[in-house]
Amino acid sequence: MTGSVNDPVLEVKGLSTSFFTDDGEVKAVRDVSFDLAAGETLGIVGESGCGKSVTALSILGLVARPGRVVAGEILFKGRDLLSIDREELRQIRGRDIAMIFQDPLSSLNPVHRIGAQIEEAMRAHDKIASREVRPRGLDLLRQVHVPDAARRVRDYPHQFSGGMRQRVMIAMGLSNRPEILIADEPTTALDVTVQAQILQLLRDLNRDLGTSIILITHNLGVVAGLCKRVIVMYAGEIVEEGSTEQIFDAPQHPYTWALLRSLPRVDADRHERLRSIEGLPPDLIAPPPGCKFNPRCPFRLERCFREDPELEPVGDGHVAACWVTMKRAHAEMGAGSLVDTGPGAASGVRPPIAPEAPDPSGADGQDVESETQDRG
Amino acid sequence: MVKHFNVGVGAVCRAVDGVSFEIRAGETVGLVGESGCGKSTLARVLTQLTPPTSGRVVFDGVELTGLRGESLRQQRKHLQMIFQDPFASLDPRMTIGDIIAEPLTNFKVMRGKAKDARVQELLRVVGLNPYFNNRYPHEFSGGQRQRIGIARALALNPKLIVCDEPVSALDVSIQAQIINLLEDLQAEFHLTYLFIAHDLSVVRHISQRVLVMYLGKIVEIAPSDDLYAHQYHPYTKALLSAVPLPDPRVESQRRLVELSGEIPSPLHPPSGCRFHTRCPIAQVPGVCSEDEPPLEEKAVGHFAACHLSERVRTDLS
Repeated sequence: MTGSVNDPVLEVKGLSTSFFTDDGEVKAVRDVSFDLAAGETLGIVGESGCGKSVTALSILGLVARPGRVVAGEILFKGRDLLSIDREELRQIRGRDIAMIFQDPLSSLNPVHRIGAQIEEAMRAHDKIASREVRPRGLDLLRQVHVPDAARRVRDYPHQFSGGMRQRVMIAMGLSNRPEILIADEPTTALDVTVQAQILQLLRDLNRDLGTSIILITHNLGVVAGLCKRVIVMYAGEIVEEGSTEQIFDAPQHPYTWALLRSLPRVDADRHERLRSIEGLPPDLIAPPPGCKFNPRCPFRLERCFREDPELEPVGDGHVAACWVTMKRAHAEMGAGSLVDTGPGAASGVRPPIAPEAPDPSGADGQDVESETQDRG
Repeated sequence: MVKHFNVGVGAVCRAVDGVSFEIRAGETVGLVGESGCGKSTLARVLTQLTPPTSGRVVFDGVELTGLRGESLRQQRKHLQMIFQDPFASLDPRMTIGDIIAEPLTNFKVMRGKAKDARVQELLRVVGLNPYFNNRYPHEFSGGQRQRIGIARALALNPKLIVCDEPVSALDVSIQAQIINLLEDLQAEFHLTYLFIAHDLSVVRHISQRVLVMYLGKIVEIAPSDDLYAHQYHPYTKALLSAVPLPDPRVESQRRLVELSGEIPSPLHPPSGCRFHTRCPIAQVPGVCSEDEPPLEEKAVGHFAACHLSERVRTDLS
């Protein structure tokens, strides 16, 4: 790999992607910007619907209708992937930037042998001599530690286990030696022991081949093990970005902080009640004004209802979009000993307009959501 | 208890094979293991949704496996289940009021106003608005649907609730809400849980005792804290070593106990110890491939089925 670690191989600038549905415009990704340096491992974490997968699909020009990228630039080595023609993009996709998905079974063709599918991936981009195709396919399978590869290239996808299929997907992704590998929940469908093996494989590829990796996942443990830098997304926006140590040791956005506290840990030494985050993520057609996390935030201020916070530096290479930040929440609101995690519990700020009494015949989805409460 | 499935042409799938354990009143027992280890089959046999091939299930002094028809149905009142998929386990054409009332109607426990009041009470108990009884499942999020499933399971005041992966389809922030709710309900209504999950962190959090299954067998049983402190079976050790932790420092020092190969087919389980084909310390050929290890008490209340359990602690840490 050429270029120093500081050279961004991918720059995403002001990316916004929306889905135009019958109910309105779903702003799935809003004003997302980040860089990926050569050889870096970047994690994008968040819950269902936070926009992490749509961000990845937008990078590769794979957003399906009724969705479309409405603003932004995606610079791969200085070229904007959003303005080049389809054929050029097709060449970059798969050759320079490869993607692997959560479900390897639905990404593989059930009626073709594994070997043929890997060879197809190679032929799609490189001018490669026919007699080299087969040995290189075999090499790739060995590289991802598929045992007995010479025999198994003749197998069909259904003869492979989930973990082995994911290895095949990774082998296909690597077939053109991409500079960037985007892995969208690559281990979510797998058992924990298999997950550990796949993560080890991704770590080795990053170290040995210098492939930059974007790992998209909801699993904070997986990110902690693989990534050097982490982006946290909520309701379509980046709410915090920093080094893995910064995010896990001193999260500054209340959402990141609350997410980490809500996890049961296998190494916990005593039983404590889980600190859940009350309520649900907002409706992306009509998100709340101000900070999108304000309906669930224990530390919210009056300002959070009116003004949407921008990402501001909170440390060296660490940014967060919050009017309060956890530094202040710890110093002034006793965040460390907080037991009641309800909205406004620590700051005492209730919504500026009192919520209406529950309407038994009300039919809109919003009030269903606001009525769920955590007991106790 | 044994459950074999006849899968045609002379093949028998030994999904659950020779499993014995007990659950005490008021206790939460966790059941962990990877896909295909038999944990869901075990749950279905326990609730008599599937009859066992052989063996007995005794519930509160009554042998369920000997009951048929109406007498079995009456016992079901005390034994409820919560399912993994909150989208598939609620009938989309029924209102949630009707869904929650269905057990009350089936068992003719209540009718009319009393039934409506009970439904509203159950909705309140699980943290939903009691006036939502006329809405349909599609109007609710995954976490809320799981609350509806819990309300339905509670309707008949059961003694035991089998929770089959109740939080694995939910987002992290919602998962904590449902776990807290299950704990509150247990304290309030003196419930006993069998909690099945593949997430070892969740199981550790909620259970007092944990069963670990591999290929249809229980390989280790122990109080939760003991099991996570030390393991007498190499499979449990490998499972725990693979759990990702949200802590970069711990992660960088991870020592993975690697398992070779893949989980064998339950149609043809390996001889001797079923784990010997993947075990990092097995003596093969030798005792591990020849004799099946019995489930023995290795420490107080801590059972494991391994010939070499002493070496798990010396060789694998």
